[in-house]
Amino acid sequence: MNTLPQQLANGLLLGSMYGLIAIGYTMVYGIVQLINFAHGEIFMTGAFGALTVYFYILPDGTPMAVAVPLMLIGGGIVAILIAVGAERFAYRPLRGAPRLAPLITAIGLSLALQEVVRNFYPGADRARAFPGLDATHDLGSITIKDADIFLIVSAVVCMAALAYFVRKSRTGRAMQATAQDPDTAQLMGIDTNRIIVIAFAIGGFFAAVAAVAYGLKYGNVDYRMGFLMGLKAFTAAVLGGIGNIYGAMLGGLVLGIAETLASAYIDEIPGMQQLGGQSWANVWAFCLLIIVLLVRPQGLLGERVADRA
Amino acid sequence: MITMTTTTTTGTPVLEATNVTMRFGGLTAVRSVDFTVNSGEIVGLIGPNGAGKTTFFNCLTGLYVPTEGTVSYKGTVLPPKPHLVTKAGIARTFQNIRLFANMTVLENVLVGRHTRTKEGLWSALLRGPGFKKAERESEERAMELLEFVGLANKRDHLARNLPYGEQRKLEIARALASEPGLLLLDEPTAGMNPQETRATEELVFAIRDKGIAVLLIEHDMRFVFNLCDRVACLVQGEKLVEGTSDVVQSDERVVAAYLGTPFEGVPEDSALDEVEAAEAHSATSTTSVEVEGDQK
Repeated sequence: MNTLPQQLANGLLLGSMYGLIAIGYTMVYGIVQLINFAHGEIFMTGAFGALTVYFYILPDGTPMAVAVPLMLIGGGIVAILIAVGAERFAYRPLRGAPRLAPLITAIGLSLALQEVVRNFYPGADRARAFPGLDATHDLGSITIKDADIFLIVSAVVCMAALAYFVRKSRTGRAMQATAQDPDTAQLMGIDTNRIIVIAFAIGGFFAAVAAVAYGLKYGNVDYRMGFLMGLKAFTAAVLGGIGNIYGAMLGGLVLGIAETLASAYIDEIPGMQQLGGQSWANVWAFCLLIIVLLVRPQGLLGERVADRA
Repeated sequence: MITMTTTTTTGTPVLEATNVTMRFGGLTAVRSVDFTVNSGEIVGLIGPNGAGKTTFFNCLTGLYVPTEGTVSYKGTVLPPKPHLVTKAGIARTFQNIRLFANMTVLENVLVGRHTRTKEGLWSALLRGPGFKKAERESEERAMELLEFVGLANKRDHLARNLPYGEQRKLEIARALASEPGLLLLDEPTAGMNPQETRATEELVFAIRDKGIAVLLIEHDMRFVFNLCDRVACLVQGEKLVEGTSDVVQSDERVVAAYLGTPFEGVPEDSALDEVEAAEAHSATSTTSVEVEGDQK
């Protein structure tokens, strides 16, 4: 049986999850030139926010059709609060400081968030069960789960809404202006601090959507889940051209598909039998990043980084 | 003799700077400058390079908070945040063009309207009728401004693809979009040819006729003296002279400040031209146009 359509679908699904998280990296970078390494942990807290809603707030036996939107809201609120709080209390005081300072702060924050969840969330030091959406559908040669449908639909809706918001709304235009030249944007009457908060909030919410999708798809979450997903999403953002939201989406999809195809098919190449399978997936993902950066350092959709005055 | 004659006091003060001093560490860039712009006036600020003109501008727009002194607009002291200053009614352009290069001409003007439009996250996402209406009105106002400066036919061009002179015009349109009561122009004719300069002159008069007071920094003396009701000369951070064009033009110290040597008698046109040429040259060489042919 031909497995290619199924593998492509898997790649697309994984890629849309990367893309959703990558938006957070790319928007924040585009506006404040900060790589928010704590973003993976914001994703993780989003998952635990949603888990809290399901296990501790909703009564047992709530149908998933009701629970999922509420989990999305709960996870979204937690992720937004943490993202905005990080901006307000960790990054804003360092604005204007040498670039290394906020970067180190981000790494510290990421460790702190992991440890807080590990120590204080009941059972979070091991994988905790997350309600799954496991009903499957056969579409010809592809089989997908309900969780996959949730993932793809929410990714498309989120990205379309974001693209529309950034291009057409007043705040979106202010966002573009702030990304291009924050000082001038201020003089045009734009409250740039507010714009930065909005960028962090949108990134946090998208990460929470991805986190709920992750939980529903894989059926468990733990305090370390943000590390690898964050790293992959960051890779996707760089791959697509960091600072560019369409780049983040494209980078996510390319990375997800490449990783899935490589782990599925690379062992069929003579001499590379040992290099296939899931355990090598990350290797191929990061190889792809290296190759793209060698050929197109600005990323797939990035523009050449002009020197700032 | 310092002549403080304000011959054309056309109205009430729009901008009042009192005793403005700006220090950077040990360097005093602006020293106790008092300055007023009245409604309906065009006022010029001249001075040799490094005299503190742009620093003074930055104090007026909230980019710098003056070390001492206050700046008030229509009687209220300005908040030290640039975006609030714009909201209060002061708009500006820049010595080096600072358009949003990757946005279209129309989008640049729409960003300029930021403080005069209202719209939240939700209305934008939900696209209510109110949102569409506000958006349409905003676009109409922006198009009016583009027609006013003569760029209406280029609305969908990227700002970075405009020729230099039109980028300057677009900056003015963008500044006017915030519906200011006072417009600050920082070297509006730098790098322009004589035709473009003349067109800018007419544009400034037209802006004044809209009821907007104008304060401009300029090195092109003919431009300044043609245009301005009142001129102030800033030298080494201090206001040396202020008065009508004639008064300032014939003040020996102004000429001395520009040439660096005492000057005898009334300055001749040729001498002024030389200064002008030198200044214009230095101004253009520092004016980098942010147009980079980096189309991927």
